[in-house]
Amino acid sequence: MLRIFITLILFTSVTIQGQNNTIAAGEKLIFTASYNMSGLLTDLAQVTMETSAVKTSKNTLLRLKCKARTYTKWDNFFKINDLYESYVSPNSLKPYLYKREINEGNYYKFMKYTYNHKSQTVKSLKRKRRKDGTFWEENKTLNIGSKTLDLVTTLYQIRNLDIAKTTIGSSDAFPVLLDNEEHIIRITLLGKETIDTKIGKKECYKLAISMNADNILKGSNSNLLWLTADANKIPVYAKFKIAVGSGELRIQSATGLKH
Amino acid sequence: MRQLFIILSLIFAALGLVLSVLPFGMIALIPIIAAFIFGLIAFRISKKSNKSTKIIKAILLVVIISLCISIYRSVFETNVIEDDDIETIKKEKQSDQESIDELESLEIEN
Repeated sequence: MLRIFITLILFTSVTIQGQNNTIAAGEKLIFTASYNMSGLLTDLAQVTMETSAVKTSKNTLLRLKCKARTYTKWDNFFKINDLYESYVSPNSLKPYLYKREINEGNYYKFMKYTYNHKSQTVKSLKRKRRKDGTFWEENKTLNIGSKTLDLVTTLYQIRNLDIAKTTIGSSDAFPVLLDNEEHIIRITLLGKETIDTKIGKKECYKLAISMNADNILKGSNSNLLWLTADANKIPVYAKFKIAVGSGELRIQSATGLKH
Repeated sequence: MRQLFIILSLIFAALGLVLSVLPFGMIALIPIIAAFIFGLIAFRISKKSNKSTKIIKAILLVVIISLCISIYRSVFETNVIEDDDIETIKKEKQSDQESIDELESLEIEN
C-alpha cells in the first residue's frame, strides 16, 4: 500500500528545466503518511526525502533519496521498508541512475534504470522474489522520450519549476517511466492557498495531479499537492485517492533547505 | 429486544477492545461508542422489566476499559520507526558503492 502512498507524492512530471535553483545537497524532509480508515485518519508510515552529494572520479552528482517505513506499531502486522533513489546532475537535475527497492511483508521487488540520454534509452533491470525465496531477473532496454523521467526526479523537477510564472488553471501532461511503462501524468495549477503545517503557516501552490492509468490514481481533482510558494517549493501536504481508499501526507520537519 | 441489544453491545464491546489494543488509533472509538449506546439501551430495558443487569454492567466495564486504552494510546504513544539494523546498514552501503561503480561507467554531462 505504501508503494501507492509514495507514488502519490512522486506522481507528477515536468519538462526538464535548465538550471537547478531549488534543490541543494543536505536537504531532509520528513512526512507522516496517513490512511483513511472508516473516516478516521490513521498514521501509518514515515516518508523521508533527502538529498546528498555523491562523488565519482570525474563528477559530483546529487542523490535524491526517498524512504518509506511503517511505524513500529504496525511492523507486526505488515512491515514496509521502501527505498526510491535517483542520481541526478546537480545543475540540471537530469537523471543517470534510478533505483527502487520495495520490501513489503513477503513482497520484494527491485527496479533499476540506467539512462542513456544520447540514445534516449533506459537499461532496465527488474528483480523479484518468488514464493520459495529465490529471485528472478528481467533485463530490458526501453526507448524513452526526451522528457521522460522516473518518479523521484519528477518530483524534484516539479519543485524546480518556475510556478510563479504559471497562470492559474493551466495544466500540462508529462511522461513518467513506471514499471517499464511510460505513463502520462497531468498537473494542473488550481491556485494559491495558505495552510497550517508543522513547519508553520505557509502560502502554497495547490496542484491537482491525475494520470492516464486510472487504476492507480482516482478522480480528476482528488489527488492534490501543496508546494510552498517560496524559493524552496517544499511539498508540505498531499491528499490522494487510490483504488483501495484515500489518505494524506503531512510534513513533520524540513531541514537543510537551499533558501 | 433486551437480548438483541445485549448481544449487539457485547459484539461491539469485544470489537472495541480488540481495536483499542491493536494500533488502529481512534478508529476503536466507533465500536466503543456503539457498544456503549446499545449497552445503555439494554440497561434501561432491563431496569423497566426488572431483569438482571449484571451482564450489561460487565459489558459497560469492558467498554470503559477499551475507551481508556484507546485514549491513552492516542495521547501518549508516539510515532517512531525502527532503527536500521547492522545488516540493513551494510546492505545500503553496498548498494551505494554499486551505484557509484555504475555511475563511473556512464557518460555524465554536468
